[in-house]
Amino acid sequence: MSFRHLLRAEWTKLRSVSRWLLALAAAAVFTVAFSVLASSAGTTNFEGGVAVSPDGKPVADDFHFVHKPLAGDGSLVARVAEQDNTHADAMAGIMVKNGATRGASYASVAVTPGGDVRMMADFRDVDARTGTAPRWLRLDRSGTRVTTYDSADGSTWREIGRAELAGLPATVEVGMFVTSPGELIVQRSAGSTGVGERPTSGRATFADVRVDGAAGPAWASDDLVRPGFGKDPASVSGSTREAAGRFTVTGSGSIGLNEPPDDTVQIGLFGTLAGLLVLVPLGVVYITSEYRRGLIRTTFAAAPARAPVLAAKAVVLGGLTFAIGLAAALVAFFVTQPILRDHGFKPPMFPEQSLTEPRVLRAVIGAAVFLTLLTLLGLGAGAVMRRGAPAIAAVITLTLVPTFVGSVVPVAAARTLMLITPAGGFAMQRAKPATEWLVEPWSMIGPWAGFAVLGTYAAVALVAGGWLMRRRDA
Amino acid sequence: MNVLRAEWTKARTLQSTPWLLIGLVALTVTVGALAAASLHVRDCADPADCGEDFAKLSLAGLWLSQAVAVVIGVLAFGNEYGTRMITLTVAAVPGRLRVLAGKATVVLVLVLAAAVPGVVAAYALARTIFTRNGFPLPDAVTAASVRAAGGTVLYLALVALLALGVSALVRDTSGALSAVLALLYATPALALVVSDPTWQERLQRFSPLTAGMAIQATTNLDALPIGPWRGLGVLAAWTAAALVAGAVSFLARDA
Repeated sequence: MSFRHLLRAEWTKLRSVSRWLLALAAAAVFTVAFSVLASSAGTTNFEGGVAVSPDGKPVADDFHFVHKPLAGDGSLVARVAEQDNTHADAMAGIMVKNGATRGASYASVAVTPGGDVRMMADFRDVDARTGTAPRWLRLDRSGTRVTTYDSADGSTWREIGRAELAGLPATVEVGMFVTSPGELIVQRSAGSTGVGERPTSGRATFADVRVDGAAGPAWASDDLVRPGFGKDPASVSGSTREAAGRFTVTGSGSIGLNEPPDDTVQIGLFGTLAGLLVLVPLGVVYITSEYRRGLIRTTFAAAPARAPVLAAKAVVLGGLTFAIGLAAALVAFFVTQPILRDHGFKPPMFPEQSLTEPRVLRAVIGAAVFLTLLTLLGLGAGAVMRRGAPAIAAVITLTLVPTFVGSVVPVAAARTLMLITPAGGFAMQRAKPATEWLVEPWSMIGPWAGFAVLGTYAAVALVAGGWLMRRRDA
Repeated sequence: MNVLRAEWTKARTLQSTPWLLIGLVALTVTVGALAAASLHVRDCADPADCGEDFAKLSLAGLWLSQAVAVVIGVLAFGNEYGTRMITLTVAAVPGRLRVLAGKATVVLVLVLAAAVPGVVAAYALARTIFTRNGFPLPDAVTAASVRAAGGTVLYLALVALLALGVSALVRDTSGALSAVLALLYATPALALVVSDPTWQERLQRFSPLTAGMAIQATTNLDALPIGPWRGLGVLAAWTAAALVAGAVSFLARDA
């Protein structure tokens, strides 16, 4: 029989069992219904203290700022004489900002203990060169254009980068800033998970500070921190001490885009959990029922090569699962996003997600691929074991148990667990980058890692199943 | 008595039965040993007071071994419906409740026969691993550890009976198995993503798995969403409901 005929035979088998068609429909309905359930039971505490960038993104904008006004064009030069190594990404540098308020438009150049001279503008990296303190830094402001330089001796300057700050008014604040991000503390012991941040306090000394242009007479000093910051007993506020033209500045926090790790796209697709509980058994019985009823002998008599039978089953069921899974994922996405917004997942912390964004589209397609690969893993496991019950039990436990075991074991163990069990496939439904901040362990690996893990499982199971089919008596 | 013997013969002659029993023991022991070995005294802030629940960790194999108990329970009816043997069975024993009772007894005996040695071995092996890794351990036999170990055995028996009830209702091995595994495993996975604390607690208090597994806790009982015995009671209620539904369906429908 040609492969085309095999496909037709397998399609006929699938469509003539009404309970299987029912299962496919149920998988789609369950996926959507459970996604709605997961979204309706959602809540977020990420509301307070968020700063918003000029383009509406949630940002961190926490640092200590020693500044004075500058009217019109001008230039600021300072030498970072010393910087304490409190964090690899701590920053000590100079900045021009549209007022000393969080979220205001800015451009900066700073050194880090990690060895970068980094220029940022409006919460994004512009460019970076290698270099550490002691180092001269220079910032030229001309209209809305800012250019930054560094120098080892204060006379030969190397350009770091330039940026356009749209809407920068004539009068701006210029000055020195110091900040140092908190250290992430993740404690997962057997039985509990705690995620926290321990603030660090950066310290740097500036010398040879010079402002060219129509600058104000005196330096002001401000701590830009999120509201409620001081309530945390471990928090440290910044300070400025000036002596003989040298400024010793301390500051704590970070500057940059600050999206919360919670992924609304993933929450809205989590109903695939219910879908897989129907699809995995379907994949298994699609092959094991033939063994139970002896139909497999007829099948093999018609296709003596045997392995193509499994391939045909994989194509038919895999194709159908993907189509149904994609439809369910799309419906789930559009239905759950408004629900999640009603439950507090709203802009600016949680911008509206659009399918035109590649990462969102990837997650939605990822949900369909996730269901497809699990179904194929079920098919392969069924072909290997030839008995329904152990194959179903094995695939479902291997997929679900690591998720909750991974949420209570140490980080390294949880990551390993996600990289060696099909549970890692859940990562394909995330639209945000990998993070250690969430309790769900699959968020520690990226979507492509999840795809690789689950894909390997499905491929190995199918190949082993096909091989065993040829070797064993039917 | 004849019913029991008939059911025992059926279970005994199934090819899969010895494998399932071996699997139950092996998973209980190896997963417990792995969980114990994953913990080292250097991970503790204060080795003298590590705060770990050693008994619970030793018995972590329950996460997987319950799936085997479920398979044992499901096969009791699933196999008979799959092969149409059930028509013979109810022809020979018209009192269907007696058939159900006989099956329940055999399932119970099988699961206990594997669970008791499995749990004892897992507990003993994990303790030697903890000691080797440098942990000062509480006494081996305390009221709490007996509750955890005995409760684990009871848990396995209860989920097997739950599966038996569902399989009498669903009458199909794969359907019943999927339904029971979904009931057990879907809720704790859902609880990971659900962020509303009240919903989380509701899920954990009423799901048969998270409530039932509370019986394994020996320390920090106040932090549990539900107390150990009440938790096992929730699982027992699910089992009772499944058995009643299965019995009604078995009595009322044609075989």
